[in-house]
Amino acid sequence: MSSISSAQGVVERASAELSKRINGLGLRSKHHHANNNNSSSSSSSSSTPTASSPSKTSVMERVTNALCGGSGSNSNSNSIQSANNTSVTPEKPSRTGVQQQQQQQQQQPLTITTTTTNPSSQTSTPQQIRKQLPNPLSIHHQMLQQQLQKQQLHSKKVIPPTSLTVDQLFLDDRFLSKFFMYFSPYERCILAQVCMKWRDLLYRSPRYWSGLIPTLQCRELRQFPNPERVKLYNSLIRRGFHALSLIGAQDEDALDVVHSFPLASKHIHSLSLKCSSISDRGMEALLDHLQSLFELELAGCNEITEAGLWACLTPRIVSLSLADCINIADEAVGAVAQLLPSLYEFSLQAYHVTDAALGYFSPKQSHSLSILRLQSCWELTNHGIVNIVHSLPHLTVLSLSGCSKVTDDGVELIAENLQKLRALDLSWCPRITDASLEYIACDLNQLEELTLDRCVHITDIGVGYISTMLSLTALFMRWCSQVRDFGLQHLCSMRNLQVLSLAGCPLLSSSGLSNLIQLRHLQELELTNCPGASQELFEYLKEHLPRCLIIE
Amino acid sequence: MPNIKLQSSDGEIFDTSLDIALCSLTIKTMIDDCGIDEGEDTVVPLPNVNSTILRKVLTWAQYHKDDPQPTEDDDSKEKRTDDISSWDADFLKVDQGTLFELILAANYLDIKGLLDVTCKTVANMIKGKTPEEIRKTFNIKNDFTPAEEEQVRKENEWCEEK
Repeated sequence: MSSISSAQGVVERASAELSKRINGLGLRSKHHHANNNNSSSSSSSSSTPTASSPSKTSVMERVTNALCGGSGSNSNSNSIQSANNTSVTPEKPSRTGVQQQQQQQQQQPLTITTTTTNPSSQTSTPQQIRKQLPNPLSIHHQMLQQQLQKQQLHSKKVIPPTSLTVDQLFLDDRFLSKFFMYFSPYERCILAQVCMKWRDLLYRSPRYWSGLIPTLQCRELRQFPNPERVKLYNSLIRRGFHALSLIGAQDEDALDVVHSFPLASKHIHSLSLKCSSISDRGMEALLDHLQSLFELELAGCNEITEAGLWACLTPRIVSLSLADCINIADEAVGAVAQLLPSLYEFSLQAYHVTDAALGYFSPKQSHSLSILRLQSCWELTNHGIVNIVHSLPHLTVLSLSGCSKVTDDGVELIAENLQKLRALDLSWCPRITDASLEYIACDLNQLEELTLDRCVHITDIGVGYISTMLSLTALFMRWCSQVRDFGLQHLCSMRNLQVLSLAGCPLLSSSGLSNLIQLRHLQELELTNCPGASQELFEYLKEHLPRCLIIE
Repeated sequence: MPNIKLQSSDGEIFDTSLDIALCSLTIKTMIDDCGIDEGEDTVVPLPNVNSTILRKVLTWAQYHKDDPQPTEDDDSKEKRTDDISSWDADFLKVDQGTLFELILAANYLDIKGLLDVTCKTVANMIKGKTPEEIRKTFNIKNDFTPAEEEQVRKENEWCEEK
């Protein structure tokens, strides 16, 4: 699994690249902003003493991360730091000096104003001061303390910085930004509902939400008054989401996105339509609106026709997934082959696709297309495999899961011709035998992940072939009903293996499985539904493989 | 190693080995800033930490004094919370008030390791709780209007893991 993810995530990589660029832009402009530090903090109306101004948090966070962390110099205390938060800004050294001076100059009159209320030295109006420094009182304390500290320097007494109360701590930006890291993105969905402070802090950092996809239930969303839908759409942008999933969408929902969610045009990179009765026209309007889209998934969209795909697919799309759409067959593959020259990843689950469709791919695509998943394409035979190896010789990931007509001859073609394969999925291909595994072991020297779930003809001999593959890091053999302890012994020599599943293998004994402790690099071991996996065995494995996640 | 005296908010003096006190970056900075010489009878006042908490903090620091310096971990990565050592887990079997005081002290004293493990404990405590339960735990006021609350609920209810 781990190995495939690197090959899989074209869109993740692309969006990472994009966000890098976007962040780069942001940083640059913010740097600029930070040079006018005083004015920017005065324009913020943050009401909390510890808050860095909201518009700058990300910069502040980065700064804090980059500069503070464990280094003693900047970690005097929260209060000093937060009050002087501008002084931590990571500018070129010369700049910082100037800034700090300016800041001190600016703060000087304030101290005098608040401590001695000397009107003659008051250079800024109180109004300005209040804006500049959100909580004059705490600053006052600060300044007093700094003065005290200066005095103490001579008398050599230590005066500690002030601190927060427990209640304040759980509303403190700096603390919370650390604290929220102990939660998964999904768990943060609850945290965001606690109070405005938490929501605002969480919403303004896209990093808190990576790995989540907003999934709108259209049937329910339709009932909302329009202004609330608009708010919902805007909150997606606020949280930095670039993906959108619509469940149960009809044409009117697609048109609502077009009319009420203008920012989607720029910010939505990935769209998923599931169980939707959207028509060709609705989808065309939607895709026409989403001008930055490069990933599209259609699942269970039974109104979409192949003509619709011809009309709406744009060359921007690099990742396409079509599943369970009743009208999708060979002609759809034709549209994909013609219209998407940059396609990198293509997943297709369509019962009626035939061997011929796999010959449609263009020479351009043969270089760009790296990941092909054909799932439960029942009609495909070894002829289809011939077409694949000829038209797409550069594949790195191939899944034929549930393509049940494929036999050992097909696998031989794959092994001989697709030398770059890093992941191969032959699960639910019941005609595969040990011979296939011999071809794979001989020729696919770069293979890192192999999935053989439900390949019921595989025996210990085949497992013996696989065990010679040094590159393999992940192996899935769920419900391979003929594999015995003898085969398992072969596996134990695969020292690079990190992920292994033997779920549902009925013939493996407890003592056979106990040999798995030899796989010292194992990170994940799945043994669900193994009759030989007793409680004692799990305890034994956990004791000897402490870093491995064992799924019981 | 010379000793140093730490004074808690309620006036108790803790005579502590300097290397243990220095796991607190706040104390380290205070000492550095004031340029205390060795052998001098200096008292570092900690007016925000009472003796009960300070004693616990020092116990923790004593046990962990030989720990490797916490690495500068990637702050943008989600952190595990299921890897609390059994000693720490036992150490943190305290009432909620004490736990919060400890987290506050760790934050204030800037003791990375202690802050980390107390954060993990508190995070585990509130995982699986409802927003209302979390508010209650931390004594946070619900400042959403009912409409806003409904809005933010929807915004988050309709999020799924990829």
